[in-house]
Amino acid sequence: MQNWALPEINLLLCDRCGLCVAECPASAVEMGAQGPFIARPADCTYCAQCDAICPRGAITCTYEIVWATDD
Amino acid sequence: MSMDTRQALRCISLFAGLSDEVLDRLAHVAVRRLYPPGETIIVEGEPCQAVYFIARGHVRVYRLSPGGRQQVLARMGPGQAFNTVPPFQPQPLNHATVEALTPVTLYAIPGDDFRRLVSECPELALAILRDFAHRLDHLTNLVEDLSLHTVRGRLARFLLEHAEAGQVTRRWTQDEIAAELGTVRDVLGRTLRAFADAGLLRLERQRIVLLDRRALEAEAQR
Repeated sequence: MQNWALPEINLLLCDRCGLCVAECPASAVEMGAQGPFIARPADCTYCAQCDAICPRGAITCTYEIVWATDD
Repeated sequence: MSMDTRQALRCISLFAGLSDEVLDRLAHVAVRRLYPPGETIIVEGEPCQAVYFIARGHVRVYRLSPGGRQQVLARMGPGQAFNTVPPFQPQPLNHATVEALTPVTLYAIPGDDFRRLVSECPELALAILRDFAHRLDHLTNLVEDLSLHTVRGRLARFLLEHAEAGQVTRRWTQDEIAAELGTVRDVLGRTLRAFADAGLLRLERQRIVLLDRRALEAEAQR
């Protein structure tokens, strides 16, 4: 199974507005009983759109800054 | 006052060269405070209660625009001080908001006590002046960066500086990078994509992979 890096969702900050579900370009996010979750991890492209639009700052996409290694 | 407080103050680089007598006087008025990550330590525009010396951990110093846009002024760590300027002004107000990035241990000295000690202890006054000089230098460079360089240039320099060490010390959100550069998230996202389209970097899951040092260095001059 692929170990996908996914956006982190802080359910304590989330107010369940559903914007992330509506706006995810890959339709990877769904609303569950506890709040939104990445229902289809393989479809998530880590585009960070959910991070950008969340009005509560509850979704976070983080990046390391690294040099490319010679492939 | 405790010997522990004096010893802790001695470890703060700003105070390293001070005599035991001055350290004792500082320790007498210093109060140790602990903050968890994410806690706001002081708020911009509120009355200045104290000056702060970082014994452990890291903080972020920033200002907010009325629209909520952040400009990070500095990141500080052990040995550094913040809020040392307001006690010397007629109406002492905090100049910026300061937030704990990690668990933080501080020593707080009330503003009135700090001003009195600086006026009575020349060696402390000199140490504070050296810190002010360093801070003025930093802010002058920041003004130059914000006024004379484009977002492309600032982003290129930020990426070069933070990938330079060769080891990953932290992860950044796009909001955090935008706040460091004095821009907004949308502009940052567009600039990152423009760099990616030009072959300067590659955006991956959780990684900004830098590809072309020469081109990034050229961008950093813009």
